[in-house]
Amino acid sequence: MIEYLFSALTPLNILLALMGVAAGTIIGSIPGLTATMAVAVLVPVTFSMQPDSALILMGAIYTGAIYGGAYAAILLNTPGTPSAIATTFDGYPIAKRGDGDLAVSVACLSSVFGGLVGAIALLLLAPPLAEAALAFGPVEYFWLAIFGLSLIAALSTGDFLKGIIAACFGLLLSMIGISETSAEVRFTFGSNTLLGGIETVSALIGLYCIPVLIDLVATPDRHLKEPEQTRGFRLPEAMQEMLRNKVNLVRSSLIGTMVGALPGAGGSIAGLVAYSEARRSGKGDVPYGEGNPGGIVATESANNATVGGGFIPTLVLGIPGTPPDAVILGALLVQGVRTGPTLFADGANIVYTFIFGLLLATVLMLPVGLIIGRFAYRAIVRAPKAGLVPIVAFMTVIGSFAIRNNISDIGIMIVLGVIGWIASKRGFSVSPIVLGLILGRIAEQGFVQSWTIGDAMDDLWGQFFGRPLSLAIIAMTLVSFIYPFVPQIRRLFRPATAEPAPNPAPASLQKIGADLVTFGVFGAIGLVVLVQTAGLNPEAAVFPRTIAMGMLVIVAIAVARLFLIHQVIDEPSTGSTSRRISVPAIMLLAVFAMSTVGFALAGLLMALALIVPAQHGRISGTGATTLAIAVAGIILVFTFGFSEILSVPLPPGQIF
Amino acid sequence: MKRTFLAAAAAAFTLATATATLAGDFPSGKVDYVIPFGPGGESDVTARFQQPFFKKLFGEDLVVSYKPGGGGAVGWSQLNSMAGDGTKIMGINLPHIVIKPETGNVGFETDDITSVYMFHYTPDAIVVRADSDMNSLQDVIDYAKANPKKLTFSGSGKGTANHLAQVNFDQMAGTTTTYVSFKGTGAAVTALLGGQVRAEWGYTTVGAKQGDKVRMLAVAMESRHPAFPDVPTFKELGFDIVSGAYRGIAVPSSASEDTRKAVSDAIAAINADAGFQKQMIDGGFALVDVAYGAEMDAFIAQKSSGYIAAAKAAGVIK
Repeated sequence: MIEYLFSALTPLNILLALMGVAAGTIIGSIPGLTATMAVAVLVPVTFSMQPDSALILMGAIYTGAIYGGAYAAILLNTPGTPSAIATTFDGYPIAKRGDGDLAVSVACLSSVFGGLVGAIALLLLAPPLAEAALAFGPVEYFWLAIFGLSLIAALSTGDFLKGIIAACFGLLLSMIGISETSAEVRFTFGSNTLLGGIETVSALIGLYCIPVLIDLVATPDRHLKEPEQTRGFRLPEAMQEMLRNKVNLVRSSLIGTMVGALPGAGGSIAGLVAYSEARRSGKGDVPYGEGNPGGIVATESANNATVGGGFIPTLVLGIPGTPPDAVILGALLVQGVRTGPTLFADGANIVYTFIFGLLLATVLMLPVGLIIGRFAYRAIVRAPKAGLVPIVAFMTVIGSFAIRNNISDIGIMIVLGVIGWIASKRGFSVSPIVLGLILGRIAEQGFVQSWTIGDAMDDLWGQFFGRPLSLAIIAMTLVSFIYPFVPQIRRLFRPATAEPAPNPAPASLQKIGADLVTFGVFGAIGLVVLVQTAGLNPEAAVFPRTIAMGMLVIVAIAVARLFLIHQVIDEPSTGSTSRRISVPAIMLLAVFAMSTVGFALAGLLMALALIVPAQHGRISGTGATTLAIAVAGIILVFTFGFSEILSVPLPPGQIF
Repeated sequence: MKRTFLAAAAAAFTLATATATLAGDFPSGKVDYVIPFGPGGESDVTARFQQPFFKKLFGEDLVVSYKPGGGGAVGWSQLNSMAGDGTKIMGINLPHIVIKPETGNVGFETDDITSVYMFHYTPDAIVVRADSDMNSLQDVIDYAKANPKKLTFSGSGKGTANHLAQVNFDQMAGTTTTYVSFKGTGAAVTALLGGQVRAEWGYTTVGAKQGDKVRMLAVAMESRHPAFPDVPTFKELGFDIVSGAYRGIAVPSSASEDTRKAVSDAIAAINADAGFQKQMIDGGFALVDVAYGAEMDAFIAQKSSGYIAAAKAAGVIK
C-alpha cells in the first residue's frame, strides 16, 4: 500500500490537491455555490488529465467546498452549502459576540479531523461499510428523516408549538412541484415559476440570509464586533475547544462517515444528526444554540467525514453516496474508468492513489483553511455596512440563480426570505422550516415506497415497525424528542421544592392579535393543501394531506392556548422599518428588471441602490464615490468569474 | 414575470437573429448544450461523452450546462425562449416529453419541442441480484403467477421507461407485480442490492456498472446488446417489448430549417465515430439514429401512442 502513497505524492498531485482545496474553500464559502457545482465545473478540465490526478483534484475541491460552507454560516448566518446548516446554530451567535475568528479556526480543525476519519474509513473499511449501508432501506430513510425532524423540539426558540407549525410549513413547501413518487404536478397553482419546486439551496439562502440583511440595514450598529487588536488564528484556544469536545469530535466524525456512506442521505443530514447528538449529551457554560463551540465541532467534523464516507458506496458499489459523487462517477466513466464492484479489484491502483490523495488534500486543508478563513473573517468584520449589504445581497442573487440557472429561483429566494423574517419576528424560528424543507422529500419517498412494499407483502405493520434497524432509529427519535422536556418532566415528579416560576404578565392585545393572524395564515395554508390534495392520486396526496391535518390540529391547539394563557413568544424589532422594506423591494425590482437589462446591469444597479438604505449617518462625497466604485468593482469581478470561469449562463438582456 | 421574460427573450432573439445571418454554418462558435437535469445522471454522462468528439469533428466547444427541475419540465418549458441561431441546443428524453404534458400543466406540450436527433437509448431490462433464485424470465413469470402482487420491482420514477415497461410486461404476461418508484437509477439499484425488492426494472447500463453483482434476465431490444451477448431479448422470449429511455437533442422552435438539419447532421457525425460508439456500448448504452424530418416525426408518433396507452393503464395519466 505504501507504493500508492508515493504515487499520490508526486509534485503534480500535491499541487493539484493544494489548488483544489483552496478553490473549493472559496467556492464553498459563497452561498449558492455548492460542492456539486464546484466539481461539475471541473469535469471538462479533467478530460485531459490522468484519471488519478483528475480524481485527486475533484476530491480536493469537494472537501474544500464542504469546509468553505462554514464561513458564511458563521459570519453571515447563511450556510454556504447545505451541509453547513447546523453550523449556523452556534457559529453565528459566537461571531455575534465577537469570537468569529475563533469559530472559524474551530471549524477548520474539526473539518480536518472529520475529513481524516472519513478518508481513513474509506481506506480501511470501505467494502464492509458499503455492505452495511445497503441494509438501509426505504423505511430506514423514512425514520431517519423523522429523526432529523425531532430536532425541532430543540430548535424552536421558546415555543414548541410554533416550531412544529413551522416544520409542517417547511414540509409542505418541499411538496410543491412535480411529485417524485407519482409524477403528478402538485400545489403549483398553474404557475410555471413553481413547477420545479422550491430549490433547497436557494430557499436556504433566502430563509437565513435575507433576514440578516433586512436587520442589518435597520440599525447603525456594526454587523459583528471588531476586536481591539489582531489576535492571529487563536489556535491554542481552538485546540482547547477541540480537547474539551473530544468525545463529540470522534462521535460526530463517525456519524458523518456512516451517514455519508448511505446513498441518499448526504452532508446536510449528517451535520444535523451529529448536532442533535452533541446537543443532547452536551455540557458547557453556554447552552447549545446560543453559541456553544461544540455545535460547530459536531457539524463541521460530521460534514467533512461524509466526503470519505460518501466515496465508500461510490467506489465499492458504483452508487453515488452524495450528489458530488454522482458527478465524479460520471467523469470517471468518460475517462474510461469502469466504476462499480470491479473498480476496487481491477482498478486498485487508481483507487488507493486517490484515497491517499484525498488524505493529502485533507491535511493541506489545515493551513489553507486557516489562512483563507482568517481572510474571510477580516473582510466581513472590517467591511463597512454600506459595502457589506450590497455585496452580500448580490451574492445571494447570483448564487440562487447559479444553482439551477433559473431566474424564478431568485424570486422565490427573496420571497421566502421575507416570510422567514416575518415568521421569526412572530416567534417561529427559521430552522424548523428548513428542516421540513430538507427532510420532507426524503420522508415522503421513504414513506410511499415502504407503504407500497408493505402493501404488496400484506404486512404494513411489519414493514414500518418490524425491522430492527428501524426500531433503533425510532428509539433514538423518541429520546431526542423527549430530551429537551426532561427538566419540565422532572419538575412534575418532584414536589415543589423551589417556587414555581412566576407567571409572566399576559401579552398585550396587539401581540395576541398578531399571533392570531399568524396562526390564521398557517391554518389557511393547511386548508388550501387539504382541498388541493382531493384532486390528486393517492400516492401524491397521502403525505401532504397527513401533514396538513397535523398542522391544522397544532394550529387549533396553539389558538386555544393563546386564549387560555394569553402568552406570546415573539421577537420584537427595533430600528427603521422603511430601510428594512427597501432591501427586499430593491432586490425584487432587480429580478424583474433582469430579463430586460440583463443580469449584470440589474445586479449592479441593485447593489448600488442598496448602499443607500445601508448607509447610516453622513458620508462625504468622495467617501460615497469610493464606496460605490469599490462595490461596483467587486460585483463586476464576481459577474465575470461566474460567467467566464464557472460558465454560468447569466441571462443577457436587451442592453448587454 | 413570465410575460416580461418572454417579451425580453423575444427581443433578445430578434437581436440575435439580426446579427447571426449565417445561421446555416453550424457551429459558428461555441454551442451551449443545456441538460434539463442535474449533473451526474445518464443524460449528463452521455452529453459528456459527446463533448470531446464534437470538439474533434467541428473544432468548436460544446459547453454543457444544467437547468434541472420538475424532472426536466423546467428546462423544456424554457426551450423556445432561447436563441434559435444554433448556439443553444437542449437534451430531450423519451418518454418524458410525451408523458409530462399529459400529467398536468408543465409549461410545455410535446409538439412545442423541435426534436432534431435521437442518438441513443438505455434499453429496459429485468435485473436481479446474482444470488437470486430467479434465473430466467420464465422464473419471473412463474413466481409472479404463484404470488400475485408479491413480486416487487424497483425502478426509476413513475411514468418513466422502467415503469411503462413493467406495465406492458404485466399485461403481456398476464401477471400482477408491484412497482416501487425510486428517485433515479442509483436509488433503484441500491434497493435491489440491499434486498429491499426482489428485482428491478432497470436499464442495460445497470448490468454494465454492476458487473457480476447482478444478473440481467432479458433486455428490451431488437437484438442482443453487444456488451451482453448471453442475455436474451424479450422478443426472443415471445414478448414484443423494445423500449427504454431514449435521449436526443432539440433546438428552439425559432431555429431555421438549415440550422435544424445542421444540428441533426452534427450529432449523426458523432454517432458515426467508432471511438464514440465503443465508449457508449461499453457503458451499456445502445445507439440509435433518428434524424430530423419525417423520420423523427414518425418515430415520436409511434412511440407516443404506446407510452400514452401504458401510462393510462398504470393510472399515471387520466
